[in-house]
Amino acid sequence: MSDTPPPNTISRRDLLKAAGAAGAAALAPAALGAAVPTGNPAVPRALPTLATRAPVGPLMNLTAAETEILSAMIDRLIPTDDMGPGALDAGALRFIDRALSEAEADSVDAYRAGIAALDRYARYSRGTPFAELSARDQDSVLIDVQTGSATGAGAGFVGNSAAFFNLVKDHTWQGTFGDPQYGGNVDFVGWDLIRYPGVRLRVTDEEQRMLEAEDLEPARRSAYDFGQFQAGQSGGGAR
Amino acid sequence: MTKTGIRRVAALGLLALGAGATAVAAQATVEIVVESPAMTTGAAMPREYSPDGRNVSPPLTWRSLPPGTRQLAVICQDHGAGNPPPWVHWIIYNIPASAPGLPEGIPFDRADPMPAGLEGATQGNNNWGLAMYRGPAPPAGTVHDYDFTVLALDTELNLPPGLTRAELLAAIEGHVIGQGNMVPTYTRQPAEGGAAFE
Repeated sequence: MSDTPPPNTISRRDLLKAAGAAGAAALAPAALGAAVPTGNPAVPRALPTLATRAPVGPLMNLTAAETEILSAMIDRLIPTDDMGPGALDAGALRFIDRALSEAEADSVDAYRAGIAALDRYARYSRGTPFAELSARDQDSVLIDVQTGSATGAGAGFVGNSAAFFNLVKDHTWQGTFGDPQYGGNVDFVGWDLIRYPGVRLRVTDEEQRMLEAEDLEPARRSAYDFGQFQAGQSGGGAR
Repeated sequence: MTKTGIRRVAALGLLALGAGATAVAAQATVEIVVESPAMTTGAAMPREYSPDGRNVSPPLTWRSLPPGTRQLAVICQDHGAGNPPPWVHWIIYNIPASAPGLPEGIPFDRADPMPAGLEGATQGNNNWGLAMYRGPAPPAGTVHDYDFTVLALDTELNLPPGLTRAELLAAIEGHVIGQGNMVPTYTRQPAEGGAAFE
């Protein structure tokens, strides 16, 4: 193959490590999901849990069919599993919809075209709509999209399929691990997942010691709760 | 000689391109017979082994292993792609010498167990940086050759997962006692009953 360059392949492990916390994951299915906590294995820590997944309801920028496909994709990027909540639990879908009305408004067409192409590619290559595939087959499809191998394959991706993958991946991360002010990271589940201790304007010596011992209770506050910061538009960080 | 034939001969000099290749090429080795129920040298691979299909790894079998074979490794590479070539599609090693081949669909998720008889086998990183099989997707309208090389080793190395081709070749240097290959082709396929590939 393929003359496409190696993509910026980032696993859930990489993602959670990059988030700068003590939590993380395996690259399994290889490129996509499956969180596994790291840090001190001798210290058992409770995983974040959610009583119920945040309801989505109708979105502003996507049809019901588009929402179903995008939701299935996001659910594989950061899946809900025995390691904790996933991107859908964190409200990443709602975050993306809001961002498409604000800072990412010029990405609406890319989303619509990419979602349609993803589904066409799944039907073409696996004979089944993307949302109806098994999780393993969805992962396999997404790996092909991620690597650029789905480009042109009867699917009609605009440019390299990896561009669409990276667009959704970036927004999914933002919607999972960004400040809740922007509509994602509902109930701080993303921060809890990576054991981010939360926004603090000062840290005492005792808190620093507790942090290093992984015993510091999370602050569970948005940066904008402090009043010193002014929120921008959702999705602005993707640029 | 056809272009495919030339490439095939070049491939038998094997692994001779790129880092770490010289040690393998320099060793005197026994030729292994590599076969598959699904593909053959010089003929197009089924789409199931490409992103035009399910993109699962193809079945391979081998015979005529040299005496003293303790372990096997398989590399699938496209000598006509990559900068520098080859573009590596698949690496699998720590394969027990008792294995008669590889069944279709080696798991791409490390959490899934290897098929029976392949315990201990693990996959290295292809040129996408993924420790799994990813099949051919040559530029539209082109035909590429895909060299499935089987290497017989005289030792059990128990190598870690995720090795690159260069790292694998360095690790097995001096231990290759047999090799053989199969070189099917591939060009992007149209959808079944649907529009041609664009």
